[in-house]
Amino acid sequence: MDVFLGEKLFSNRSKNGLMTYVLPKKDFNKVFAMYSTHYGSIDSEFIVPDTGEHLKVPEGIAHFLEHKMFEMEYGNVFDKFAELGASSNAFTNYTNTTYLFSATSSFEQNLNLLLEFVETPYFTEESVEKEKGIITQELKMYEDEPEWQVLLNLLRCLYHHHPVRIDIGGTVESIQKIDVDTLYKCYNTFYHPSNMVLFVTGCIEPAEVFELVEKHESRKETGTQPPIERIYPEEPDSIKDPASTVRLDVAEPLFLIGFKDGDVGYDGFKLLKKEICTGILMEVLFGKSSVLYERLYEEGLIDDRFSFSYEGQKDYGFCTIGGETRDPERLHKEILESIHRSRERGVAEEDFVRVKKKFLGDFIQGFNSIEFIATSFVSYYHKKIDIFDYMKALNEITFEDVSGRLKTFFDFSKHAVSTVMPK
Amino acid sequence: MKDIFTQRTLENGINLFIHSTDKFKTNTFCIFIHQNLRKETATRTALLPFVLKRGTKSFTTSRHLSLYLENLYGADMGGDILKRGESQILQFFMETVNQKYVAGEDIIDSSLKAFKELVLNPVEEDGGFKQVYVEQEKDVLRRNIESLYNDKFNYAIERCFQEMCRDEAFSIYKYGHIEDLETINKYNLYEYYLDCLRHCPIDFFVLGDIDADRISDKIGELFNFSRGGEKLVKTSFVRKEINGERIVEEKQDVNQGKLSMGFRTNTRYGDEDYYALMVYNGILGGGPHSKLFQNVREKASLAYYAFSKLEKTKGLMLISCGIEFKNFERAVGIIKEQLEDIKAGKISDYEFDSTVKSLINTLKETADSPSMIISMYLDGIINGVRESTDDMIKKIQDVTIEDVKKVARKIHLDTVFFLNKK
Repeated sequence: MDVFLGEKLFSNRSKNGLMTYVLPKKDFNKVFAMYSTHYGSIDSEFIVPDTGEHLKVPEGIAHFLEHKMFEMEYGNVFDKFAELGASSNAFTNYTNTTYLFSATSSFEQNLNLLLEFVETPYFTEESVEKEKGIITQELKMYEDEPEWQVLLNLLRCLYHHHPVRIDIGGTVESIQKIDVDTLYKCYNTFYHPSNMVLFVTGCIEPAEVFELVEKHESRKETGTQPPIERIYPEEPDSIKDPASTVRLDVAEPLFLIGFKDGDVGYDGFKLLKKEICTGILMEVLFGKSSVLYERLYEEGLIDDRFSFSYEGQKDYGFCTIGGETRDPERLHKEILESIHRSRERGVAEEDFVRVKKKFLGDFIQGFNSIEFIATSFVSYYHKKIDIFDYMKALNEITFEDVSGRLKTFFDFSKHAVSTVMPK
Repeated sequence: MKDIFTQRTLENGINLFIHSTDKFKTNTFCIFIHQNLRKETATRTALLPFVLKRGTKSFTTSRHLSLYLENLYGADMGGDILKRGESQILQFFMETVNQKYVAGEDIIDSSLKAFKELVLNPVEEDGGFKQVYVEQEKDVLRRNIESLYNDKFNYAIERCFQEMCRDEAFSIYKYGHIEDLETINKYNLYEYYLDCLRHCPIDFFVLGDIDADRISDKIGELFNFSRGGEKLVKTSFVRKEINGERIVEEKQDVNQGKLSMGFRTNTRYGDEDYYALMVYNGILGGGPHSKLFQNVREKASLAYYAFSKLEKTKGLMLISCGIEFKNFERAVGIIKEQLEDIKAGKISDYEFDSTVKSLINTLKETADSPSMIISMYLDGIINGVRESTDDMIKKIQDVTIEDVKKVARKIHLDTVFFLNKK
């Protein structure tokens, strides 16, 4: 049991290998639960554990599967949650698929329903065909979202082969190839309890949750499964293309610059530290208190929607910096020059100390929201990171760590830019 | 009713609402300055939070402010504009971590100092705001208004309301209009702000692990500036006769058609039958159990999203969905069938019960978020309704299918807006 900010985390392992975590929040009105599998859009090539078959599946299938999981023999699971007064949803990203509900009553029934539907695949040809129409509209919606397009194009520049360069939802063409048989194969591979995690938070007793999960899981005959062999193509250190420009019907250009992280290949606490360290570094260089931000803002090159972030996974990592701007070329040049100057001069220690305080405060603030807690818990869990180690990692990060990261991370030969221009 | 906020009034007339609770990790402070939504003033009001964020007498640049706030464990501070019916609200907010989790100076005292500076002590330059800040922020606001065009989802919703209410103040965008920017200078904006501070109704909310008396004294000390008489801010509500619906089409180079349908509900928050309207909206398009989701998405596979929402102050309802261009007529047809079905009382027990439960769930959930608690309470103030979530839940539970049928007869389609391809 961990204690953190007055919160306690309880855990339990079921016989079939499923890990359940509960973080009680007694004075909250709701319960929020996430049932998540370590299976995302990048897992498109793997060995089927039962048969040893080497499978390459259509792009976007993890997301398609997520949609179809809501279908049961009796109908749609959304309806059942609605009858219980809960709201349910799901999302798929590059590395995981997560199902969730939020409820202020009937917690046990809702939890049982969540377990039941995620553990019951039911796909028919007719319903799979019908879903193609819905998902096509979802993909078309994203085609008109310039912020999503600018990021997708950046990833296509940074990566030669790694599937992170492919849209999570696939394409209108790729999803046409999805069929019932392949959906079952993906399901049976990635929805094994040993590849999943259940996280519950809100006004609920840990013992109650564990008992319910035990009862539910003991009814299932799930044999053990060896670790899943996921196959990712060999990805060179270099970037694929230095720049991408597309034209969309927008009012002002959108610009994003990205650096490909060469320091990858590990997860766990070390990855957490790298993430926070990179985050602090970027806040110092590009944050609202930076000299660069002030200057770019005053020159009218950016506004307060300018943003930056670092995405770190075991096998890949990249940062993005940018926003809407009237002059993408100049913004590109200014950012590179500023990084160059910072690398020559180094980071000021007082900036490091101050931003570290901000990171601590932001994390504490996040704990106001049980959605934040659950989402962070699950995404860290799949990276073998314990969210309760956040403070420890933050404390351990030194000024030297951040200075060192500045020297290695921003390798100009590994950056690319993506621009969306008005038509 | 149980009122979760205790209300006090400062000597200068500012209403102070305090809710003392240790449920959250932070303390939240919000100031709302209420103004009538008018063409003459909307752009000025909208420009204010942008200019004020640029600097204060003690923190002369945004960067100074940021440096100070980061040292206070990343206190969040800022301003924005809200629109509720035909009122435009200038909002300032600040959120700080609870002292008990961090070491060092008094966070509330230090952050309130900056908050006061932001609202009451802007950088001055010969009797106006600082020229360069005003000019730069006019440009930022202009780009902000223009950028709605990039967001096709919200663009199609906003355009539908604009067309529908083209002769009413409600058509004014919350950030104002680009053509009005040129009339603004550092003097008239400053003058206007002083006028807002003197005469617009102001509500100040505090929510967190605080001692009510102590914080009330503190805020009285910092914010009891002299003011004049308050003017009335009204959220006017127009009953409009509709002679048939109007279809407006706009063409852009897009990949998906965006359909918005605007309705007059002739019912607003504060009316007896408002709760029946909430149930009506829930049945029609308030989630996966709703008729729109079931029929437009699940049965016909026409859309990924299809929903309806209420504007409860002005008495409007909007339906929105993203569809293939060629399916415009089919989608409108299916949507109209759903409206007719509700009017005729063709509502299944499942649709009705799920809606009621979902509304109750949403109301109960508001208690788990500081900003939601404040926002709900603010809506009550704006619409002259004082009720707790328990009161609301009770009224929703009392709604019958007959009530829903009755309120359905008051709802009329006004404008259909379609964002089509070129």
